[in-house]
Amino acid sequence: MRTTARRIIVSLLCVTSVAGLAACGGGSAASDNSSTSDSTNPTTPSIEITGQWARTSPMATDMGAAYLTVTSDTDDELLSAEVDMSVAMMTQIHETVMGDDGAMKMQEVDDIAVKAGIPTELKPGGYHVMLMQLKNPLETGTTISLTLTFAKAGKVTVEVPVQEEAP
Amino acid sequence: MGICLSHTSQAVSHTQRNFRRRIWVCVGEMKTRNKSLLAVLATLCVSALASCGSSTASELRGYRSPTPKNSAEVFVTDAATGRLMELRADDGELLIVYFGYTHCPDICPTTLVTVKNAKKHLGDNAAKIDLAMITVDPDRDTSDVLPRYLSSFTDKFHALVPSSQTELRTAEQAFDATSSVTVVDGKVEVVHGGTCYVIDSSGDVIDEFPFGMDAESMAHDLTVLLKERETQQ
Repeated sequence: MRTTARRIIVSLLCVTSVAGLAACGGGSAASDNSSTSDSTNPTTPSIEITGQWARTSPMATDMGAAYLTVTSDTDDELLSAEVDMSVAMMTQIHETVMGDDGAMKMQEVDDIAVKAGIPTELKPGGYHVMLMQLKNPLETGTTISLTLTFAKAGKVTVEVPVQEEAP
Repeated sequence: MGICLSHTSQAVSHTQRNFRRRIWVCVGEMKTRNKSLLAVLATLCVSALASCGSSTASELRGYRSPTPKNSAEVFVTDAATGRLMELRADDGELLIVYFGYTHCPDICPTTLVTVKNAKKHLGDNAAKIDLAMITVDPDRDTSDVLPRYLSSFTDKFHALVPSSQTELRTAEQAFDATSSVTVVDGKVEVVHGGTCYVIDSSGDVIDEFPFGMDAESMAHDLTVLLKERETQQ
């Protein structure tokens, strides 16, 4: 009985410790500051764009990027993004992907699936709107107008503040 | 993400393996030893719990290899001077080496802004943090382009533009880094790593920041590493 009791205590201590270690492993949970759409009208797709921002473009480059979170009350697809030609000559949706060797590259994507009620993030290191051949540098404190086209919800235009980092 | 994240996970699993081994040893001994071992075990387990609750000040959040890579006697052309720069920090300083390119809209500016913000956390120690960006796209990132690009992020930097493929590959090999620039359907496609390598004055890579590591964590590591070097002197 004594041995059994010891074993139980040993097990308890070890389980507690393992649980403690496991709990401290997850320190990198991403914060999510997006809000979800609470539209109750089932006939009109409701799209909400939150947290949009475009990165201040560094000197000596004509490439820029914009990020945002899409929340829809129906399954939808983000098909394209556009800015006025006075901002950038070309706008594409890209994804940064990691290769087998750990190196990263960007690739253009045809569309981004948006699941009903689940925020879809375009964020650094993942999906982003790529602004190519900027006509002028994107300067902190200014805004650009970005038009997103969805398969069901159609066109949605948002004002995007230019800033160094995510809001 | 990137090369470094896999290193980080290796480091974590190594720690977990050690811990599992410690538990196994404890249980094995309990079968034959007296109950004082129970107290030892309890202490071990409690200390394991305590140590994981909050990371200690000297614990690095990036990845430090037990067998550090070294970039001493590896040289890349400095755009500002046209001369070769050896990839090691000045005495008493740390050098962050990063492989990137200026047409990168996502990974590179994200990382460089994070380094910029990390330095804001460091106070006077910020002056001891140097940055060397080695372009993996020297055809477009010429010696007049890269310095201007980097000046958007910091005033203490070396814009390194390899003068040949050999120079670039030799530098990459020192860090086990890779890159490629190819033209696909008329578009330039660049593949590169997203890791920041922290180097000391001996050229040892003493820490690696994977892509996505936040500014506060970078600042934490840089502070720890600077203190380590002060203590060693």
